[in-house]
Amino acid sequence: MAKEIGADRLGDFYKEGSKVRTRREWRGVADTLYDYSRWLRIMMTLGKFVVKPRNVKAMFRYRWMANYLAVPMMVDRHTQGLRGEYLRICHEEQDLIIDDVAKLLDSLFRGDRRIGNDKKFSDKVVLVDENEMTAVMMGFPTLKALSRETPSTYVSVLLNQYAACHYIDVAQEFGLAGDVCPMPEAEAGVSIDDDAPIIGACAIQCNTTCDGSLLGNGVISQRLQHEDGIPVFQLAAPLRHREDDVQEYAAQEIRNAIAFIEKHTGEKWDWKAYFECAKRVNYATKCRMEWLEMNRTPYPQVFGSNLALYTETNYMAICGRVAAFEKADRKISKLAQQAYAKKKMAAKEYRHRAIVWGVQSHYYMDFLVWLLNCWGIVPLTDMLSMVSTKMLATEDTPENREQAIYDMAWLTENMIMRNRTHGGYKVLLDELWEFVEEFNADMVILWEHMSCKALDGMHGLFEERAREKGIPLVWVSHDLFDPRIISRQGVRDQINSFMRTVMQEEPLDPSLEILPDDKSW
Amino acid sequence: MGIFLKILKIIVIVSVVFFGVTFTVYFFNLDMKLTAAIEPWLLKQYDKVDRDQHL
Repeated sequence: MAKEIGADRLGDFYKEGSKVRTRREWRGVADTLYDYSRWLRIMMTLGKFVVKPRNVKAMFRYRWMANYLAVPMMVDRHTQGLRGEYLRICHEEQDLIIDDVAKLLDSLFRGDRRIGNDKKFSDKVVLVDENEMTAVMMGFPTLKALSRETPSTYVSVLLNQYAACHYIDVAQEFGLAGDVCPMPEAEAGVSIDDDAPIIGACAIQCNTTCDGSLLGNGVISQRLQHEDGIPVFQLAAPLRHREDDVQEYAAQEIRNAIAFIEKHTGEKWDWKAYFECAKRVNYATKCRMEWLEMNRTPYPQVFGSNLALYTETNYMAICGRVAAFEKADRKISKLAQQAYAKKKMAAKEYRHRAIVWGVQSHYYMDFLVWLLNCWGIVPLTDMLSMVSTKMLATEDTPENREQAIYDMAWLTENMIMRNRTHGGYKVLLDELWEFVEEFNADMVILWEHMSCKALDGMHGLFEERAREKGIPLVWVSHDLFDPRIISRQGVRDQINSFMRTVMQEEPLDPSLEILPDDKSW
Repeated sequence: MGIFLKILKIIVIVSVVFFGVTFTVYFFNLDMKLTAAIEPWLLKQYDKVDRDQHL
């Protein structure tokens, strides 16, 4: 038990065959009491959620709800080894995300025809995809944009590595292809398994990025439209998002989506609300740019999963619509500046500065903390955090109303993942090496999501460029939502072998090299 | 004054017991050990739910 960073053997908390760890960390009096107080807060959030009978009913109805038993453990995984400002930044983010997901679940079950069946509420709900910018909802303050896929699959896999396996198997039992991305496949599996809440006046689906996504949306919209009577709009954003000639088409799709929502909900677009949200989007962008600027220096502050998970939530799912995230942005920036001024470090030694590229393994999101604790590799930034930095128009004028349509189209085209996996050679390959130089990185960690055809085709080109630049590059294969294909230890082994054989190094914390977390949540 | 001190004493005792119990649960990860034991029972429950499974 140690107060100092890196003095604990973090691997000793794992127990063979167990879902959970033996105990929580001792981080010194101040940090342990802080972590304990945040744990109490999470318990209160969960307590407030389960006192409502309809939420208990949902707990017994939907299989994916069992994953929410693991909420405190998800936080423990991401705070592993952290002290001081880094621990506080992580809690600011994670606790807010937990609050937000608890509200999302509560709203879903309130309107769900099987559970709360509040029809008046359901008529004000617009369903959105998990993997979709919610920009078109910025001007509808009286409507609720709810995603069924976020709690049933996306968050579930963060909580429990095996959460999606049942739904992937269901989709394949019904004949869907097994070689597509397991994320949309699991989402389709939830729909096939009759395990999605039935709610909403209408739904907006987005042509995300791949064959799997199109397959999944097809299955889900079939059930929504033809059985549940919920009309679906397909927001087809252009994939060549850097080209000028597609922007007018993209803008027209936004106009069509807004008209569709107005038609099916009876609500009217509110420009005042839109521009308020746009200001918050700009503030989040400004903060993210400041954090990335710090990460270019020898003292990075907001990095790893602290950067990745929060950016995914704030940029795409929130999109300026929730004021609490602006407050969190401010607190995180303050903590980061404090730590930066004192030249603080999150681990006892920083050996390598890495850019993490590709689509990360969702069942092992805390891998980025592991990299830091086990090998002293600082994941400065990752592909999914390198999203749009364009400032939106925020003043309500006739010209800006027209510009706003293009801004929403730009955001939708530049949603997380799509802005890199599609859009051409430059955004996926060239810009990686630009970031390597800008961030003064000495290593590239390239996720190889084996079912992502958009990325797999570029394998050789990445290697060729790494050789040209003389930058060590390590591939880390995984199957995004399915740890049965490559386990968490399988992911770690790829780094362990590279670090020992190519880099000829020994780990900072050898107890983390091999972990018995195969059965763990 | 006597009643005030008595109430204060009760508040202090309750707070100390609350802290002692919850901190023990927190530190030894007892909350997660309990929920890990509940999960298999819940999974059996989901298998009993009637579902209209189809494409």
